[in-house]
Amino acid sequence: MRKIYSIGVALILLASCRPSININKDATAGNAEFTNYLAIGNSLTAGYTDGSLTVTGQLNSYPKMLFDQFSMIKVHGAVGKFIQPLLTSDNGYPGPKYILAMTYNPCNPADSSLGPVPYPYPLNNSADATYSATVNNGQINNIAVPGIRAADYKVAGYAQFAAAGNAPYALRFYNNPGTASPNDELLFMVHNLHPTFFTMWLGSNDVLLYATKGGQGIGDGTATPAFGNFYNPADITPVSAFDSCYDLALNSAISTGASGALINIPDITSIPFFTTIPANGMTLLRQGQADTLKGYYASKGITTSFEVGSNYFMIQDHKGLTRQAVPGELILLTCPKDSITCRGWGTTKPIPDSLVLTTDEIQNVQKAVIAYNAFIKQEADLHHLAYVDMNTYFSKMPAGITYNGITYSTSFVTGGAFSLDGVHPTQRGYALIANEIIRTINAFYKSNITSLDVNKYNGVTYP
Amino acid sequence: MKKHVLAVSLLLSAATTFGAGYQLNLQGIRQLAMGGTGVAWPWDASTIFYNPAGLSRIKNIQVYASGVLIAPTTAFGNLQSSAVTAPQTFTPFNVYVGGPIQQGSKFGIGLGVYTAAGIGLKWDDQWIGRYLIQSIDLKAVCFQPTLSYRVSELLSVGAGFVYGTGSLDLRQSLPIHGIYGSGGYSDDVGELHLHGNANGVGFNSGIQIKPSDDFQIGITYRSQVNMSISNGAATFTVPQSVSKLFPNTKFDSQLPLPQVASIGFGYRTMEERLTLQFDLNYTGWNSYDSLRINFTDHTSSLQDNHAPRHYRNTLTPRAGASYKLSKVIAFMAGAAFEPTPVVNGFVSPELPDADRIVMSCGITIKPFPRFTIMAAYEGVSTVTRSASYNYGGFSGTYKTQAATAGIGAYFNF
Repeated sequence: MRKIYSIGVALILLASCRPSININKDATAGNAEFTNYLAIGNSLTAGYTDGSLTVTGQLNSYPKMLFDQFSMIKVHGAVGKFIQPLLTSDNGYPGPKYILAMTYNPCNPADSSLGPVPYPYPLNNSADATYSATVNNGQINNIAVPGIRAADYKVAGYAQFAAAGNAPYALRFYNNPGTASPNDELLFMVHNLHPTFFTMWLGSNDVLLYATKGGQGIGDGTATPAFGNFYNPADITPVSAFDSCYDLALNSAISTGASGALINIPDITSIPFFTTIPANGMTLLRQGQADTLKGYYASKGITTSFEVGSNYFMIQDHKGLTRQAVPGELILLTCPKDSITCRGWGTTKPIPDSLVLTTDEIQNVQKAVIAYNAFIKQEADLHHLAYVDMNTYFSKMPAGITYNGITYSTSFVTGGAFSLDGVHPTQRGYALIANEIIRTINAFYKSNITSLDVNKYNGVTYP
Repeated sequence: MKKHVLAVSLLLSAATTFGAGYQLNLQGIRQLAMGGTGVAWPWDASTIFYNPAGLSRIKNIQVYASGVLIAPTTAFGNLQSSAVTAPQTFTPFNVYVGGPIQQGSKFGIGLGVYTAAGIGLKWDDQWIGRYLIQSIDLKAVCFQPTLSYRVSELLSVGAGFVYGTGSLDLRQSLPIHGIYGSGGYSDDVGELHLHGNANGVGFNSGIQIKPSDDFQIGITYRSQVNMSISNGAATFTVPQSVSKLFPNTKFDSQLPLPQVASIGFGYRTMEERLTLQFDLNYTGWNSYDSLRINFTDHTSSLQDNHAPRHYRNTLTPRAGASYKLSKVIAFMAGAAFEPTPVVNGFVSPELPDADRIVMSCGITIKPFPRFTIMAAYEGVSTVTRSASYNYGGFSGTYKTQAATAGIGAYFNF
């Protein structure tokens, strides 16, 4: 009896099949056609990360991620290859990328911390400088140029100017770099490719370059071209110039009838580049220190407020005046930490204007972004294109966006979404961006494109 | 007849065993075979668990032992990926000793040692939910010394003190990647390993009403046993440069074994051959409000973790029948509907749970007058559940299956 029962138990165990779940939902194109995809944009679209461009960054750019998802659509999905003007190396071009390493405080060698340092291995600039488009019959699907502004789209010979400003990216693959404007190149590529779908993410640099230089230039949106159609890169592009250049580029993009998605501009003042060093990062331990500082500035006729604990740094504002920072003002990530800890920056010496975004500079940036985005929205509506509200998506980032168990935030390094330059996303950050674009495309075009597994991509790596 | 038992077993064999939540309902073989019913009828010494009041109704001192084999598997899938847990076998066991202090006495005394909770899941290293859970193993065994008093032929009462002891072992990946990995799902990834012993106390009480030999009623209340972990070991595996941010430390946590109020009815008919039972369990799951892991040491990167669970109370109806074929052999069958305590939005892959329809069957054989052998099989079909875990930004579809077979024996002195 027992023997028979034990055979029964064995049979039961054998018969228990292991469950499996396979969710296969066919990806569909909806009202759009993704056969031929063209990506237009700046460094964010090129795959720039950790302060430079690398071939791995390019291969994990959000347009490449989108293309891979578009390829999974059986009818009207992307076909063929997604050609990008690839570099040859992973060391960075033209400057080295950042990596995380232990850095030592020069005035206290015992004090070490983890921070970004330039990749110490030799660059491969001679090989990276050349890109041969002829191998792919001139087909390039990602014509993003790191550093490019919407305002640059009318600038004839842009590639040469940019290279002179240490941004030689356009020079690598533009068809006619000596005289063509970015819009000429865009038109050339559109007529060459006949894209059925495009994404365009332009405009961040029209404010970012002003902000990352601590608000140089006029900033109030009344700048005039330095020469020809070329605006000072360190200033904010006037809204009228932005609108007309954006409109020009957009009309080129849709000139062969492509549908697409316009991606708006995030509020750049919430990215780690501006939020990592707190404006009230001065810690005073003794009342004596506070009194000394107060007396020092009083003798110069500057009213300050110092107490034991956290204090706002001393800064130099846009007009060259020394004053104490006020809540909401931003110290740039490029402000050297050892200058603060060893050389009295922010305490006895004001932090230079080029490393500070003051209240009115922040307002200049935010006002411009709102105006640019209003125009992008208007254009999306006018041309019946999907409008990706990346601004709203990024606004959720400071509180954290949780994806499959990882909370991504704007915390520098540890937040996981932003790379070591504090401005550009990590590959995981780009995957989050790709998913938001996919979500918007699916809603607008009634398509069903599969989202990406964000955590499959690389984030920050620690030594 | 034996062949028939096997045939039924094979039919039901694709099934799960874990009770709703992380609570196990495998404390008696006969009750397992009857859909988990057993509050009203004191069949044997396992009434120490099902209704302590029944202990003074047992004729003799009894020694009871049973064990169950469970081999559960959970499958997961979403649009990006699918995964299946690694094969694991669990063996919850129960031992009861007890009965009247002497033949005919109104006092019953006994001790029960039973497995009250247990889950274990181990996902593949590269699975998509690795940052939420890599593996978990949770065990709780309860010791319950019990007293019972037969007030009259109509009424008996009983209660026992419950001491629970167990352990929690949990692993999860940390999103801290070393430079030696090749990609996002590389092997050079941080890990948190929690291991701690847990214990807690509570009680189990009941009354048993016997209006006639053929109609009996049981009412029980089992208190919550708050299994608390203190000074568990939290071990971090992270790249060297951030080891200061994740120091190996201790942790505290707690997992409640929920309070349960039950009422059950038993009715015997057909010349005492057929016994029908019906139970209702009301389980106070809402005490499992959040999974709290409190670390002893904190850093800017290492903070306490309070993951919301918000379980809801459940009402489980159970029905079972026993048919006595002869003095030697009896057959049992039963069914139950176990609603899940886990609400949508809180379905985390450490304990994916869904409503279950339970079907069970079993046999008892009494080869000698004082000795009984029992065997039971429980089949549970869970719905395939698509749900999300909002706290972890995770969603997908789950299905759990398992093979469960139990065997036991008791001896009357």
